Amino acid sequence: MSLYTHILTQILITVVSVAGVFVLTGMTGMFSLGQAAFMAIGAYTSGILVTKLSLPVYVAWPAAVVLAVAVGFIVGLPTVRLRRDYISLVTLGFGEAITALLNRATAITGGASGLTGIPKITTLPMAIVSAVLVIALIMFFKRSKYGRQCIAVRSDELAAKSMGINVPKVKMIAFLISVAVTAYGGCLYAFYTAYVDPTLFGWKKSAEWVIMVFFGGVNSLTGSVLSTFVLSGLPEVLRFLQNYRAIIYAVLVLLIINFKPAGLLGEWELTPANVKRLIARSGQPKRTKEVD
Amino acid sequence: MALLKVEHIYKSFGGVKAIQDFSIDANRGEIHGIIGPNGAGKTTIFNVISGIYTADEGAVLLDGKDVTHMEQHLITREGMGRTFQNIRLFKGLSVLDNVMCAFDPQSRYGVVGSLLPLPKRFAEEKRGREICMGYLKMVGLEAYAQERPENMSYGHRRKLEIARALTCNPKVMLLDEPAAGLNPVEVGELTELIQRLSREIGFVILLIEHRLELVMNISQFIHVQNFGKTIAVGTPAEVRSNPEVIEAYLGKEEC
Repeated sequence: MSLYTHILTQILITVVSVAGVFVLTGMTGMFSLGQAAFMAIGAYTSGILVTKLSLPVYVAWPAAVVLAVAVGFIVGLPTVRLRRDYISLVTLGFGEAITALLNRATAITGGASGLTGIPKITTLPMAIVSAVLVIALIMFFKRSKYGRQCIAVRSDELAAKSMGINVPKVKMIAFLISVAVTAYGGCLYAFYTAYVDPTLFGWKKSAEWVIMVFFGGVNSLTGSVLSTFVLSGLPEVLRFLQNYRAIIYAVLVLLIINFKPAGLLGEWELTPANVKRLIARSGQPKRTKEVD
Repeated sequence: MALLKVEHIYKSFGGVKAIQDFSIDANRGEIHGIIGPNGAGKTTIFNVISGIYTADEGAVLLDGKDVTHMEQHLITREGMGRTFQNIRLFKGLSVLDNVMCAFDPQSRYGVVGSLLPLPKRFAEEKRGREICMGYLKMVGLEAYAQERPENMSYGHRRKLEIARALTCNPKVMLLDEPAAGLNPVEVGELTELIQRLSREIGFVILLIEHRLELVMNISQFIHVQNFGKTIAVGTPAEVRSNPEVIEAYLGKEEC
């Protein structure tokens, strides 16, 4: 397998997880610093079920997603009623607890030396299909009643309640969808690298995903996907720069935050109607900035 | 039976007594104006009625049902619509989608329908769009359905808030300073709109407003608040000649 296939597969798996974070952070405005722990639950559960209990993959993967959603429900129950900034604290604590658990439960998880012997199943076409399906699913969700309510909750919780929106329920739905998608990303990951260890799923991973969502545009799934390609592809392309890569990454993120606070694409989505509008507008002189 | 019955509500924040013994009895089709200087507790009254705060004492009955301790979104579903003093529209959603958000809690499809293309979803979305376009038309904004609220004028945004509140099927509509920041032409349009809605829908309208000419023109009853207390209740003519009201607004006459 060529290097490019390898990089592309890894990026596509990240796209799946970031799409999950998009629902939570981009649409609903909740920050999870423990999202990678749900990827860990997906990766470890599916891995253990296949390697230790020799279950078939088509049983193990759904089981892993279901377990992650169940855990997500328990974590979400006390959190969805909290103010939004507390959610990041709860999820941060939860995420680190999961990592610690994976490190300690050596008999089942292999501890710090990781879980080995997972069959290699995920291929590039499979990653492509998964990414496309997840993107389609979430795009569809964004335009549904719950998608709208998520955006309403992010924009103004009080006004949302005054319109009859059940805010904790909407937050829970967003949280569980993002957990399910991220856990599925974990399954893809474990069966691609054939090896997982706890350090892969710390809070830094979660923070990286949040950065990707912000970089791309808080209300744009297209932006999140694009920024995943840019921000995870860049370190690979710039490999010759070695340690300077981190600097370039940071500068890029800072530039975006400074000059485009709403992210690279803001609210723009790649839909046929928007593309048509863009083409139509490019022929005309640029409109002056609208007055607020 | 009064559609909205507020019985002796009290609300304090620490030492500040924001509402002291406020009552109201409003029937179908009535417009009640609530006036008073800044800090008189007018918006707090709205916040207690709509469930943002819970009253320390007293009760709020909506169409005979006690909603005093209900959660805010459930009170809305019982038939409470409101707008906000400082316009709180949803950023990131089009004008139509802003209104759709108020329809969504009534929409009859679930999470599965949100993720997958089920026929039920398309039918419900279509029904919602028709209802919401109807309300946008009612306030005269149907041409702006695909616009962004942040690109609209202040007057249009106020109307959009009203359309959004109408979508909740309110039995009681709370309008918090709907004319604030509007120019005289827009105030005229708004007055006409409020009167038309009151006639056509026949709900109770509670109106907080600083423009006395607007309140006096369209309300059947006026409640005058000052420092959390109701100092006068009555028809516009009665209130206008009440010496206590004149004192609160204009100050005491020095002899």
